[in-house]
Amino acid sequence: MRVALDVNGERHVLDVSDTRRLVDVLRDDLGLTGTKVGCAEGACGACAVLLDGRPVASCLLLAAQAEGCSVTTIEGISRGGPTPLQEAFVAEDALQCGYCTPGQVVSATALLASLPQPTPEQVRAAMVGNLCRCGAYPRIERAVLRASGQGVD
Amino acid sequence: MARFVKTQRELEGRFEDVFVLVDDDDPTEPWEAGAELRHVGRPASRQDGLVRVTGAARYTVDVQLAGMLEGAVLRSPVAHGRLTALALDAARAVPGVRAVIGPGSEVGYEGEPLLTAEPTWVGDPIAAVAADTPEQAAAALAALAPVFEPLAHVVDPDEALRDQRFTKDPVEDARGDVDGAWGEADVVVELEVETPGHLQTPLEPHAAVARWDGDDLTAWVSTQGMFDARTELARRFGLPKERVRVLTEFFGGGFGGKQGAGTEAILAAELARVTGRPVRVVNDRHAEQLAGGRRAWTRQTVKLGARGDGRLVAVESAALVSMGQGGFTFPVNLPALTLYEVEHARGMLFPLKTNLRAQNAFRAPGVTEGVAVFEQAVDELAAALGLDPLELRRRNHVDRDQASGLPYSDKHLLECYDRAAELAGWGDRERLKEPQPDGLLRGMGCATQIWWGGGGPPAHATVRLDATGHAVVTTGIQDIGTGTLTTATIVAAEELGLPLDRVRVRGGDTAPNLYGPVSGGSMTTPAVMPAVRSAAGKVRRTLLGLAADLYEIAADDLTVVDGRIRSRDGAIDADVAEVTEKLGNATIDGSGSRGPNPAGYRVHTFGCQIAQVAVDAAVGEVRVERIVAVHDVGRIVNPLGASSQAEGGILQGMAFALSEELVVDPNTGIPVNATLDDYKVPTIADVPEVVVEFVDIPDPTMSTIGAKGLGEPPIVPTAAAIANAFAHATGRRCRALPLTRARVLETLR
Repeated sequence: MRVALDVNGERHVLDVSDTRRLVDVLRDDLGLTGTKVGCAEGACGACAVLLDGRPVASCLLLAAQAEGCSVTTIEGISRGGPTPLQEAFVAEDALQCGYCTPGQVVSATALLASLPQPTPEQVRAAMVGNLCRCGAYPRIERAVLRASGQGVD
Repeated sequence: MARFVKTQRELEGRFEDVFVLVDDDDPTEPWEAGAELRHVGRPASRQDGLVRVTGAARYTVDVQLAGMLEGAVLRSPVAHGRLTALALDAARAVPGVRAVIGPGSEVGYEGEPLLTAEPTWVGDPIAAVAADTPEQAAAALAALAPVFEPLAHVVDPDEALRDQRFTKDPVEDARGDVDGAWGEADVVVELEVETPGHLQTPLEPHAAVARWDGDDLTAWVSTQGMFDARTELARRFGLPKERVRVLTEFFGGGFGGKQGAGTEAILAAELARVTGRPVRVVNDRHAEQLAGGRRAWTRQTVKLGARGDGRLVAVESAALVSMGQGGFTFPVNLPALTLYEVEHARGMLFPLKTNLRAQNAFRAPGVTEGVAVFEQAVDELAAALGLDPLELRRRNHVDRDQASGLPYSDKHLLECYDRAAELAGWGDRERLKEPQPDGLLRGMGCATQIWWGGGGPPAHATVRLDATGHAVVTTGIQDIGTGTLTTATIVAAEELGLPLDRVRVRGGDTAPNLYGPVSGGSMTTPAVMPAVRSAAGKVRRTLLGLAADLYEIAADDLTVVDGRIRSRDGAIDADVAEVTEKLGNATIDGSGSRGPNPAGYRVHTFGCQIAQVAVDAAVGEVRVERIVAVHDVGRIVNPLGASSQAEGGILQGMAFALSEELVVDPNTGIPVNATLDDYKVPTIADVPEVVVEFVDIPDPTMSTIGAKGLGEPPIVPTAAAIANAFAHATGRRCRALPLTRARVLETLR
C-alpha cells in the first residue's frame, strides 16, 4: 500500500506492505537508525518517537497508522544541534551504552514540552516506560531536571 | 629494547601463564598518591556523549550495506528432541530467500557445528536463512516446519542432582581440617539460600553483519571481545587473522554475555559466504532472552563456626549450580574461601547439567551469587553471637589471599566499612525498627564486596600528534558503555600536557592490530591505561626534544601543560602548535604496552554496601530506600564515569535481589518469561537513593596508573545487603532470591 508520512518535517511517499511497522520504515526505508528496537513488543521504549508531539512506541504502530500525523524522531529533535536536554544528558552522564538514550531523549522531550518544570515524581512517571539496562536512571532524572532549569543538589 | 616476559594473567579468577611483550626502556614513573594532576581524578563527560544522545552513534544493528540480506535463525522450541523433518527446500522456495542452511547442509566453517539436529535446550539453533527482507526471512523460517521427536529433558536441578548429571566433575577446594574444627566453635550456623537464573538482557541484542571481499571478511559484531571474535572467525573460516576485520564501535551493553564472535557472527559470515552478499543477523528479544546467556541458578548451603568473640573457626560452602549444557564453573565459593580470615575452609561446587543454554558470564560471575548467600550467612552468625554485623566483619578482616597464600597488593576495606557506616547512619539502625508512621517494617543491612580487577598484559596503544597539536590515541578498546575511551582520553591528555579537547581516542576496530582485552573481568582500565600513558609519554618526550631544538634550550628545562610548552625560567610560553606546525605532514608517534603485574601479590578490589529497605508486610512488597556504596578500586581516573558504573551495578544487583528471575516450566523445559514484559528489569520508578564513594587511593602495584577495574565490583554486595536489611526489618530470612511478593508473604506467614 502507498503511505504518505510526515517525518521530521519532510514528506515521504512510500510503498509498504500493510503490516509494516513504523519503526521498520523509519530505520530501514528512511535510514533513520537513531530510533532503536529493544524488544519489538512495547516494553522497553527504545523505539520511542513523537507522533504529533506525543511519545509512542514505533514498534507497536503500523506505518499506515502514522499517516496524517507528524512524526518526529531523535534525528528531528537533534536537527538544529543538540538541545539543552541532550546537553544535560551528556553533562550528567545520563547514559552508558547509549542504546536506550534516543528513546529516553524522545520521552523527556515530550515531557518537558507539556510540563516545563516537572517534579522528580513526574519525571519518573513520564519515563517509566523507557528501560535503561545499564542503570543510568538516577542521572536521567537529574538530566531532565537540569534541562528544565531546576537545580539538582 | 622490547623483550618477552613470562607473567600470570587473570580473568574472572582464572589464571594462566603467558609471555608478554614489554618495552623495558619506558621511564614512566607511577603518579604518586596526591600528585597534582590536571585531568586524572577530575570528572569528565564522555567524548562520544553527543554522538550517543543525538542518535548518530551507529550500532551493529544499524549497519546497512548495499545488497545486504537479512538473516534469521530457527531456534529449537523444545528442551531436548531429535529433528525428524525440516523442509529446507520449501524454505528455499519462499520468494526472496537466498540461502537456507540446516544441520550438516552447506556449512562451510570449521569446528563444532552450530546448527543441530538434536537440540538440548530451548533456543538451540537448528537452521538459518538469508532473504531480501526480514519478512521473507521470517516466512522462510515458518516454511521450515521442523518436526521433533521429543526426548527426555531435565531442567529441575534436584532431578539433575538425583541422576548425578554433571557438566564436569564436582570441585572441592579445602584447607585445614574442616570436619575436625567444628568442635572448636562456640557457635555454628547454617543457611541454605537459592539464587535465580539471571539474564544479562542487553538492550541491543546479540547482532552481527558480515561482508566478504574476496577472501577478506569484515564483520560488525556486537561483542565485548572484538579480538576474540577475530580469532574465532579466522579459525572457523580457515583464514589468517589479518584477513578478518572486526568492528565494534558502539554496542548496546553486554554485561558479560557477549563474548567472541557468537553464533550470530559465524552464521552471518557463513550466510554471506554462501550468498555472496552481506548478511545481517540480529536476535529478536525472545531469542536474546533464550540464547543470550544467563547467570546460573544456584542453591548454596553455608556453614560457619565461630568462637564467642566472633573469630571464625571453620567455613564450609556447598553450591549446586544449574549450568545448563556447560560453560565455565565460576568462583561461587570465593567468598567462603577468602573473604574472612579462617584456618579451616572448604568449598564444594556441583555443576549440574540441565537442558538450558550453557551458563556464561554475567557481571562478576560466580562471586555475585556467592556473596549473595555467604554474606547472609555471616549476618546469621552475627545474630547468633549477638554481635553487630559490621563489627563481626571487622574482626575477621584478612590482609592476604588465603587461597594462594599471597598478600593482597592493597586493601582498604576497613576504611570502606567505616565510611559506609557513617554515610548510612549505621549507628542508628536499631531505631528503624521502632514502629513507623507508615506502618512499614524498616531495616538496614550490610555486605562486603570482593572481586579481582587488576587486569594485566597484553594491551597496546599508539599516540600520534599532528601538526595542529592534536593527538589521536589508538587502542583496542571496545567501549561497552563504561566510557573507557574517555578514561583513555584523560590519561593521554594528562601525560601529553594537552587539554582534553585536543585528544581523541579511537577504538572499536581490529584493523590497526593494536590489541586490547575483552571488556570484562574489570580489566580495561588497569590493562589498557598504562599502555596509553606509556605511548603518550614517548610522544611528550619527543615533542619536548623538538621544542628544545627549536628554542635552543635543553629539553629538561621544558614542560608541557595545558597545551603550552613552557621553560623553567618563564622565557618560553608557547602553544604546542607553535612547535608541531613545523612538522608539516609528519607526525610524532609513540607506542606503548602494558607491563606485567609484579609477582608475589594477588590484586583484588574491595568494598562495602549498606542497604535500607521498607517492607510492606500486608502485600509482601520490599522497597529499597537507600543504598550506600563505598569501594576501594585504587585510583579513580574519572569520578563521573566511576559513579555511573557504580550506580548501574547497584541497580542490577538490586533487581537480582528483588525482581529478576528466569522461570522455567519443569514439565516442558521452556523458559516462560523470556520477554521484557515478564522478565522484570528495574525501571526509573524503582530507583532508591544511591550514595557512592570511593577510597581513591592508588594501588602501588598497579603499573603506572594505580587504578583497578570497576565494572564488576558494585554489583557484588548489593543483593546480600538488601537481603540482610530485609532480615533486619522482619526478623525472617527468605530462603530464595529474588524477594518477590509471593516469597515474602510466605516467609512472613
